[in-house]
Amino acid sequence: MESYVLGLASEEERREFEQFCSQYPELLAARNSFELALEKQALENAIAPAVDVKSKIFEQIAGTGKVVTMQPAAIKRTNWFKYAAAACVILLAGSLYYNLTLYNKNKVLQNNYDTNIAKLNSVEKDIEILQQNPNIKMASMKGLDASPQSYATVYWDTTSHDVYLMTNNLPIPASDKQYQLWAIFNGQPVDLGVFDMKKEKLLIQAKNAQGAEAFAITLEKKGGSLTPEGTMYVMGKL
Amino acid sequence: MLQQRNEKAFGYLYDNYSGALYGIVNSIVTDKEIANDVLQNVFVNIWRKIESYDSSKGRLFTWMLNIARNASIDEVRSKGFRDSQKNQSLGENVNFPGAVTGPAIDDVGLKKVLTKLKGELRVLVDMSYFQGFTHEEISRALNIPLGTVKTRIRSALIQLRTMI
Repeated sequence: MESYVLGLASEEERREFEQFCSQYPELLAARNSFELALEKQALENAIAPAVDVKSKIFEQIAGTGKVVTMQPAAIKRTNWFKYAAAACVILLAGSLYYNLTLYNKNKVLQNNYDTNIAKLNSVEKDIEILQQNPNIKMASMKGLDASPQSYATVYWDTTSHDVYLMTNNLPIPASDKQYQLWAIFNGQPVDLGVFDMKKEKLLIQAKNAQGAEAFAITLEKKGGSLTPEGTMYVMGKL
Repeated sequence: MLQQRNEKAFGYLYDNYSGALYGIVNSIVTDKEIANDVLQNVFVNIWRKIESYDSSKGRLFTWMLNIARNASIDEVRSKGFRDSQKNQSLGENVNFPGAVTGPAIDDVGLKKVLTKLKGELRVLVDMSYFQGFTHEEISRALNIPLGTVKTRIRSALIQLRTMI
């Protein structure tokens, strides 16, 4: 009996003793009185543990009580769905925004592409004019004292008298000035018109020239002059 | 109410029995700080296992007492505890089961009762109850036949009953 109560009995001895207890009430009574004596003895010799032990225990078991433990599964489930739904909405919004950004970007790129294709077509057309026509004569116009780095080219069709100008390198003029192209024919300057610097065009078509020994470009007041008045930038013979 | 895991009832249980259980823990685990940690674990285990308590097999206090004793013995036998004791000077707590005059038994609680036992019986009960050795281990350690160990412990426990 003592070893049973004090936890010293083996599993087999315990089962045996429990069997006896259920059969003999006096044995159960004896066990009970020994347990009571043991408890009384222990209570009389109680020692106070450290003050913070109780709070530590309650911290550790906090929230593990029955009433609380029954709920979490259901709550967690709804929370999970809520979070999942929220995540979906955020992802959808992000995706829409991203799509819109891509759409706008695509539109800009498409515009740029169209512009570039148009430029390329016009350049190809210009080159065709020069390459396929055996009557074209070329005059390279070199920079003069006013602007030694300047350089431009004139292509002249000797049969149709069409004149095409390529501005390889000319400084951007002031807003109240314009470049003017001249043909030198029989020693006299003939006006072939004013032109603006257009980057997207390779060749600028000027006025027709019936005949020429050379070409030159001067910087004139806006709209041009009847005879050259401003500084001559480039000149070249055929 | 306690088996429904009612925290208020558990608080009441602690207030009434923590001292008695701490006395038991303290008689096995002599280091005060460690004894407090063990007591904390004991009550957390009581809380967790309360549903497995069966009143037909004994009083609640007996059930708690055995949890406290087992936890204390586990602590004493753990490597960490033995290491922590190594650096302490040899003193009153040296466990040397072979010596009859041996471990100066702390004069508290059950151990106080134990001092009333005859020397040889006292050692056997001390090793069996307070240190958790099996009868076979005691037989080997003290070089006493197993049958003798069992008989002596039985007679010691019977004597104990009359003393309590």
